[in-house]
Amino acid sequence: MAGEDLATMISRVSLGDRAAFSALYTATSPKLFSVCLRILKDRTDAEDALQEIFVKIWHRADRYAASGINPLGWLTAIARNHSIDLLRARKPVASNIDEDGWDIADSGADPEQAAVLKGEGKRIDRCMEELESDRAGAVRSAYVEGLSYQELADRHAVPLNTMRTWLRRSLLKLRECLDR
Amino acid sequence: MTTPDQSEGDRARDQVIAGEYVLGVLSLEERRNVEARMSRDAGFAAMVGRWSDNLSSFSDEYAPENPRAAIYPRIEARLFPASAKSGLAGLWSSVGVWRLLTAAAVVLLVGNVVIQNQPFGTQSPSQTPGQPLVAQMSGEGNAISLVASYRADSGHLSVTPVAAGPSDQKSLELWMISGNDPAVSLGVLPQSGEGEIEVPEAMRSRIAAGVTLAVSLEPYGGSPTGTATGPVIAVGQALAP
Repeated sequence: MAGEDLATMISRVSLGDRAAFSALYTATSPKLFSVCLRILKDRTDAEDALQEIFVKIWHRADRYAASGINPLGWLTAIARNHSIDLLRARKPVASNIDEDGWDIADSGADPEQAAVLKGEGKRIDRCMEELESDRAGAVRSAYVEGLSYQELADRHAVPLNTMRTWLRRSLLKLRECLDR
Repeated sequence: MTTPDQSEGDRARDQVIAGEYVLGVLSLEERRNVEARMSRDAGFAAMVGRWSDNLSSFSDEYAPENPRAAIYPRIEARLFPASAKSGLAGLWSSVGVWRLLTAAAVVLLVGNVVIQNQPFGTQSPSQTPGQPLVAQMSGEGNAISLVASYRADSGHLSVTPVAAGPSDQKSLELWMISGNDPAVSLGVLPQSGEGEIEVPEAMRSRIAAGVTLAVSLEPYGGSPTGTATGPVIAVGQALAP
């Protein structure tokens, strides 16, 4: 499904076009359902979430027009945010921002390494390769599965604060790499 | 006192919090706090937007999987209930009711519009010059009804909102959707009486059978963004019978 077609469908949905809404559902519900399934891990919950997500899409379509972002990215963000909110509401996690794990200063890549990497483009995949593989894995599964810091720590068998530090340093390295 | 080092550290911390929000690792309360900050701090919102964009390729891992066929009818049943409330005072003062009406209008109106003559904008031999083309766009229980009348010779498209009630500082804006193009505003209807809009010269050739006309409720004076921001209260396709 070309992004342009999806953008057109969303703009028509914003005008109350039910046929466009139906077409948008047909085109994107398998992807968004997959988001719900991966994060909520329960088919009934995922089906309920998918309904809520498309109700939101119907009501928020008019906001899309002004955002100018990739339409599938916009739809996926609605699905991820809804699913993660559900997950966190159902199974609360400890707060993170005011906790430890802010020892995130980093020595940075050495100049030679940076010079080599510079020519490799800015795509996230290239930058992910600069991270140690277990940390890159933690970043990716946090995003894809909506895992909490505690779940990530359990999965990687490290203390919670260590996981926070891992992920925060990884985010800064990614930011630095993407900005390079 | 903020030293350069501290502000550097604050920026890094903000970058991390924005990234953590997009990853999804924060608690529900922290997520709400981040969203509240996004709404008042454009720089921070931009950080979140960049992360969202940067990390979006991870979504490739979501392998499409079809939901059961029963799901979509449930969504439709929620969005487009079979009946909508009536009562003009409520209609004009309640956004909620407008949304209900929108749903009802969409249910009822598609295909309900009859152009009683040739396609708009074409001067076919059978069309009497000067005779208007008329489209009726009506809402649930005729609580909202608009009559569009177009004179191809003068380029005048008049729209009469019926049972319009007090405006409540809102305007009705008429939109045209042609093919796959985004909706184009044909103008804002006058607050009362016959809503007459002079269609810009350049637009006239584009009004033909098949285009969709829609009316949305906008802030007074019309949409501030150039696209419909309020609920669509009537929509219909112009068809040659």
